[in-house]
Amino acid sequence: MVFFLQQLVSGISIGSIYALLAVGYALVYSVYNFTNWAFDAFMVTGAFAAFYGISLYAMPFPVAIAFSIVMTVALALVTETVAYRPLRAHNAPRLFMMISAMGASLAVVNIANLAFGGSFRKFPEITAGAYRLGGVSVGRMDLFAAGFACVMLCLLWLFLERTKFGLGVRASALDTVTAGIMGVNNNQVALIIFGISGVLSAVAGVFFGAKYAVYPYLGTVTIKAMIGSIIGGIGSLPGAVLGSLLLGILETMISSYISSVYRDLFSFSILVVMLLFFPSGLMGAKRVVKL
Amino acid sequence: MSRLRSASNKLIAMSLFLGVAALGSAWPWSASKEIKIGFVAQLTGGDSYIGQAAKLALEDRIKELNSRGGLAGRQVQLITYDSRTQPTEVVAATRRLIEHDDVVAVIGPEWTAASIPLGPISEQAKIPVITTTASNVKVTLNNDNSVKPFMFRTCFIDPYQGFALADFAYKDLKKRRAAFIYDVGSAYSMGIMQYFEDAFTKRGGQVVAKEGFQALDTEFRAQLSKVAKTNPDVLVVPVGTYRDIALIAKQADALGLRFQYLGVDGWVNDELLTLAGRELEGAYLSSGLSTADPKFKAYNENFLKAHNVKATIFAYYALDAMYMLEYAITTSVAKVHKVDPVAIKNELENMKDVPVFTSNLTIEPKTHNPHNKPIVIMAIRGSKWNISKTYAPAD
Repeated sequence: MVFFLQQLVSGISIGSIYALLAVGYALVYSVYNFTNWAFDAFMVTGAFAAFYGISLYAMPFPVAIAFSIVMTVALALVTETVAYRPLRAHNAPRLFMMISAMGASLAVVNIANLAFGGSFRKFPEITAGAYRLGGVSVGRMDLFAAGFACVMLCLLWLFLERTKFGLGVRASALDTVTAGIMGVNNNQVALIIFGISGVLSAVAGVFFGAKYAVYPYLGTVTIKAMIGSIIGGIGSLPGAVLGSLLLGILETMISSYISSVYRDLFSFSILVVMLLFFPSGLMGAKRVVKL
Repeated sequence: MSRLRSASNKLIAMSLFLGVAALGSAWPWSASKEIKIGFVAQLTGGDSYIGQAAKLALEDRIKELNSRGGLAGRQVQLITYDSRTQPTEVVAATRRLIEHDDVVAVIGPEWTAASIPLGPISEQAKIPVITTTASNVKVTLNNDNSVKPFMFRTCFIDPYQGFALADFAYKDLKKRRAAFIYDVGSAYSMGIMQYFEDAFTKRGGQVVAKEGFQALDTEFRAQLSKVAKTNPDVLVVPVGTYRDIALIAKQADALGLRFQYLGVDGWVNDELLTLAGRELEGAYLSSGLSTADPKFKAYNENFLKAHNVKATIFAYYALDAMYMLEYAITTSVAKVHKVDPVAIKNELENMKDVPVFTSNLTIEPKTHNPHNKPIVIMAIRGSKWNISKTYAPAD
């Protein structure tokens, strides 16, 4: 039982990082019907900004997170303005936007690799050690990261449900064209969405870097977040959280009770099964082509 | 009319000049032509730290050589391609170096899966390839154990590393129950695990767990929990990159698990000590080289000063390959009076006690492996490398 609980805790901690990124995927998809492949670039920017903020400028951790968020949001807004907006203005197919996103991702990650080198950097220790609860070890960093992720997601929910800007985003997610006709400024909505994605990826990048290491290719984990987002129902924010947590837990259980060798095979098989039989995922609504 | 004649004279003179220049450049091994050496390295991708320091080291060396007049009286040019840590890219880059860039030899790649396909390519083109850290036996040998004539390496081979580690674990550490966490996609990782297991069980030891992971994984907690349940007295982690062992050690520590770690040369990078030196206190690992070796102190300091990054053993291995080529080119030109890749290969094959960057090197003609390359067993103590024991293949 202790072994099972330990795996459950590990799974939730992995899933909470996936969830932050998956919500970003879901948010962009819910409005623009395309998968923003540049999330890994945002995440890398977030991780490096916080790392250098702390190690070079001795920023306290909260200031480093704020700095990381500012840098990542700036990149996200530039990406939206430079890589996506002109394509939307020309009514380009969604595929072009995905290709543009891949280009942005490759550019940023490779610039990071050239500028900072490919080595793995230790994030300055924020909180180390673990709590022991009846034989189950819960890492302080895991707990902190999961708690912070919850707070971020709650704030996002409040923003979307309780503010005028949030209403605009929800209106665009429901029907972008009609929302535009009704006076919602779609370009402003795009900036808000990418700004939020930037915040979430920055936080995910910082916690990923703090938990593991900071390196230019740390964004490869975003593929798992996308799978989590699809399991939950791409475009659905609660679905993204649920799908990511489920994926994190299932991956850990597969590794623990069957074989770690089959973990990725299992993850990608779920993706195929979901796309074949439940394309709307656990909580997603049927989607139509918009904008 | 005279202006026209003058213009036509200029045209004729220019045509003659261009013709002579073109002839000169087309003439094989023209005396004015640079000697081109290819380098295929991991410069981007998850393990890009491996190739980046090596590239800087080679560029420094070639600059130094050229400032002293080059090799055999000719300047040397390094042509580098990024393998992006993909075997298919390595094949494409090597073909380009051979077919398009006219290199006389290729240095790299750094790992087994990318090196094995270069056997037939190098043989067909008759261009020697010196891999740096690809340690599987099949890199230089065919399945019938005949040698791949144009493939060489600067590192030791996996069977010997597996044997040395198993022997050390059994005899020196008195360990009897070994567990593995290994990279399922790496011939290097699987090879060492197999050779360790053979040698360890032959001595009376037992393998109690084998848990795999995929390259670039960051989560190892499930594997660690499973391994801990089998109660091993030594955890062997044959991985090709220090990130993997750093994450494994940190996550084991967070779970409250303590292991006697045993590692391989893939661990060797000073960054590992910063990342997880505390968690790996007391771990042992084998390596052909150590950055802690006092003979590299001055080089390391100068390298750090010049490039603001630390020198790595991958830089040392690449330099060994370069020194091998310097020797082979100089001696072959003295014999055949031209820069000929086949003559270079013959000189590489028959190298005996030639001083290279790290030591003196002899190549075994029947295997193209370095002869009697010693293995150093190092311990991590106080977040520093400490040389504990040296194995020579004759041991």
